[in-house]
Amino acid sequence: MIEIQNVTKIFPNGVRALNDISVTINKGDFVFLVGPSGAGKSTFLKMLFREEIPTMGKILVDGKDIVTMPESRVPYLRRNLGIVLQDFQLLKNRTVAENVAFGLRVVGVSDAVINTRIQEALEQVGLSHKRRMFPTELSGGEQQRVCIARAIVNNPLVLITDEPTGNLDPMISDEIIKLFLEINMRGTTIIMATHNEKIVNKLRRRVLALMDGTIIKDEECGTYAYE
Amino acid sequence: MSLAKLSFFLTEALTNLRRSGITTFITVSTVAISLVIMGAFLFTTMNLEAFLLQMQSEAMVTVYLKNDTLLAEAHTFNMRLADMPEVADSLVVSSEDAVRELFSDPDDKRLLQIGVTPEDNPLPTTIRIKLKNPDLLKSIVDKVKLEPLVDNLSYGEDLFKQFEGMSGLLWYVSLSVVVLLGCSSMFIVFNTVRMTLFMRREEIIIMKLVGATDWFVRGPFIIEGLVQGLIGSVIATIILLSSYHLVVGKFAELIPFFGIGITFEQLFKLTAKLFMMGLILGVVGSLLSLRDIRKFSSSVN
Repeated sequence: MIEIQNVTKIFPNGVRALNDISVTINKGDFVFLVGPSGAGKSTFLKMLFREEIPTMGKILVDGKDIVTMPESRVPYLRRNLGIVLQDFQLLKNRTVAENVAFGLRVVGVSDAVINTRIQEALEQVGLSHKRRMFPTELSGGEQQRVCIARAIVNNPLVLITDEPTGNLDPMISDEIIKLFLEINMRGTTIIMATHNEKIVNKLRRRVLALMDGTIIKDEECGTYAYE
Repeated sequence: MSLAKLSFFLTEALTNLRRSGITTFITVSTVAISLVIMGAFLFTTMNLEAFLLQMQSEAMVTVYLKNDTLLAEAHTFNMRLADMPEVADSLVVSSEDAVRELFSDPDDKRLLQIGVTPEDNPLPTTIRIKLKNPDLLKSIVDKVKLEPLVDNLSYGEDLFKQFEGMSGLLWYVSLSVVVLLGCSSMFIVFNTVRMTLFMRREEIIIMKLVGATDWFVRGPFIIEGLVQGLIGSVIATIILLSSYHLVVGKFAELIPFFGIGITFEQLFKLTAKLFMMGLILGVVGSLLSLRDIRKFSSSVN
């Protein structure tokens, strides 16, 4: 599904964010990406949706080399990926349904199909009854669930998420993680960068630990500890 | 482009225009005012051109014969002139007829007060030539001035050249006005779209995250520019067309040629051109502003 081969990222200011990383992530994997702040987790994720381009190395997503991919093809790559970030990134002047529909509108899906798909996605995250509400009328956890609905509405192959529970209390975090597990069970690959030790240790999924841009641990059924 | 995308673009563009009402109002007003000024300049230039054309089509050459020319000689010469291919009509005006004509004009009666009388006639016999085509002016002048009976020729050369020079100058001024106002309107549209881009940065980032192409992101902004240009053009067209008779009436009192020779069809064509110009200003202004759209979408966390 995703092959990262000898990837190095050096920023223009000379900072080496990733250093000769090689990882393979299979279809249906649930991968936790852990490590201290500044370890390169976000850069790692950004490379997967071509927000950053490696200085060296190769990244294959579903068999396609996304490093050499022309810029004009990047939107089509992203349509197969769901992206959920820490700060909810919802449009405050649009309703829940309109926010979720955004991912379908850009693909040019008709209104009839959009309505059905929104309903399905919102039901999946348990928010179908709040489809007409605005993000400001929702709790943090609900806002994050709207983001997840928007990310999954296109049935992505991979869900990339950076600290999705970073701004949420433990109970809400558990709910969000439960939601990710359900999505994963339907076959979507999930790559999640997190500092949430409790959740990582509880779920015992594959754990990739990054430190100073290098993978220091890659364990199936792993734990959070990386030092 | 699918209907769903077009509908999305239109909805987005119109919603945003409504939300940023003041900036939209300023942009639309600027475009409208610029187009009205451009239209006024082009209209004046067209009037002057029409007047010149009319002047040319009525071009008349007056041939002054030498003082000792007999009337019979003048008539013989006139017959020769009438046979020339350039000449549409020619008429001998004897010195007596000329002076009668002169004193029939009430304005020139004051000549009597300064001592010029019909008895003391200073006017020579003349032949007035009307040309078939104003372009033949030079050719006939060259031929006639060599004739032995001819003392002098007059064909309003200086006035003609003055008007021609004025028309040329006015075209340059109009062109400069069109370019300058066009650029400034485009700059205003450019800035409005730029401001909107900053205001909607988050939206653009999300659009890009969910897989929107650059052109998809640009779509609503281009339509916004187009709508602003369109509304500006409509306002300018209404102002120009509705004030046409009023302005022509007022100006015609001051400038005799104003309103001459401009048909409603020409006016309509002019406003159609301004209309197109408004649309182009809106779209080009937006496109220039959107050329580096990626700058606004590459800052995910």
